[in-house]
Amino acid sequence: MDAKSLKKHLANITVGGRLGEHHGSTDVTALQGLNLELKAGDRLGLIGHNGSGKTTLLRALSGAYEPDEGQVEVRGRIAALLDLGLGIDSTATGYDNIRLRGRISGMSSKEIDERMDEIAEFTGLGPFLAMPVKTYSAGMQARMAFAAATAVECDVLLMDEWIAVGDADFQKLAHKRLLKLVEHAGILVLASHDTELLRRYCNKVMRLEGGVASPVTDIRKMDELLAA
Amino acid sequence: METATHMLRTGRRGPLFEFQMAMRDLRNSVERLGLAWSLAWHDIVSRYRGSILGPFWITLSMGLMVLGIGFLYSRLLNIPLAELMPYVALGIVFFGVINGVVNEGCETFVNAAGILSQTSLPMFTFVWRTVLRNLINLGHHVVIVVAVLLWFGTWQQADPALALVGLLFLVLNVSWMSMLAGIASARFRDIPQIVQSVMQFAFFMTPVFWQASKFGDKHVFLTVNPFFHMLEAVRAPLLGAPVDALSYTVLSVMALAGWAVTFSIFAVTRRRIVHYL
Repeated sequence: MDAKSLKKHLANITVGGRLGEHHGSTDVTALQGLNLELKAGDRLGLIGHNGSGKTTLLRALSGAYEPDEGQVEVRGRIAALLDLGLGIDSTATGYDNIRLRGRISGMSSKEIDERMDEIAEFTGLGPFLAMPVKTYSAGMQARMAFAAATAVECDVLLMDEWIAVGDADFQKLAHKRLLKLVEHAGILVLASHDTELLRRYCNKVMRLEGGVASPVTDIRKMDELLAA
Repeated sequence: METATHMLRTGRRGPLFEFQMAMRDLRNSVERLGLAWSLAWHDIVSRYRGSILGPFWITLSMGLMVLGIGFLYSRLLNIPLAELMPYVALGIVFFGVINGVVNEGCETFVNAAGILSQTSLPMFTFVWRTVLRNLINLGHHVVIVVAVLLWFGTWQQADPALALVGLLFLVLNVSWMSMLAGIASARFRDIPQIVQSVMQFAFFMTPVFWQASKFGDKHVFLTVNPFFHMLEAVRAPLLGAPVDALSYTVLSVMALAGWAVTFSIFAVTRRRIVHYL
């Protein structure tokens, strides 16, 4: 093992997926040999270092990334709450942004219109929804984005970190709404570094390290999994 | 819910499979044309928010260009205004569509990076978004076409139905160019600059504001210019002139060949495009 490959080896065990040379260019294998089956009622927590492949797995589950080998199959409607800022146009009004986000996450215009009152009420922004989003404070913007993103009905919910937005009051409301969404969805996959959080919301856990996954373990055995 | 209730993503399973997956992407995008339309409409509204004239600003500047070039060249080349002005007007408006779709095609996927990296929306949706956005713009610029045709009385000989057929040919061709530019630009960030230069060059080399007949319609220089045929197919019917059968042949062959190449490239690169972004 020369110095370069040692460095590469070290890099592999700390952060990131596996780096490989391919026709002179470097490619990253973010996930490898992952086997996973989830059924309704499963709440899976993903834990691992930065770059261990948690987000890549979530994106693969959302259908955005296609695996180079093997297959990903999801039965049911998927909602990926990976980025609340998705599709936000700061010059558009709150209403327009809610509509846009709804369209992107797969709702029809009619469905959005039907749910608009409920979404608008939840944001608590009242007349501000008719104003451009750029006039909002960061907290208000987060409220709007959260309400729009969580308006979907889904069977599989993917989340990169538990979402907590807004002031104390809103956080409570948001928490309730998120829990309802999780309950409604059969399956939750939640990536987080926070073990307490995973203990609270998940019943299963999987550890990722350098793109290689541990077996899916009961959440009560998380400490053993992390010690391993 | 329009969201696919069954999603399957697999590793490579040979060229035929990749081709089928690309077809599925196309089919899904057609089923969701409403989404592409919403996105395109949002783009327009968003781009011109706060502006009083909105997209009509472009119409206005196009109109000025038409007037300027029309007057200038009718004197320089000694062509009656009533002949050159409608010709120039149609040329500039419809070349604007070609130019817009191809140039903005470079940003189709780059701008959709956020959406593409966390949803399973079809990639073709974003191609249609670019095309539809430019057709909405055209809807505004039609004002120029109507005004000029009415003013110079050309409308009496116009054949709008045939012009629509021509527009269909134009869109069929320009959309594969747009998609090809989109894929290439996602991978190589030099492409937009190249495309821009090529389109500017094409604007001067194509009979947009100078008459093809003065140059010789059958000259090989024009025959090999794809933009000439696209323009002719829309412009000639509106001016009451016949469209050369050669133009339809070139447009058909180019649409088939262009889509075959573009679609094949898409089938091969489809699963990689999101990683280019």
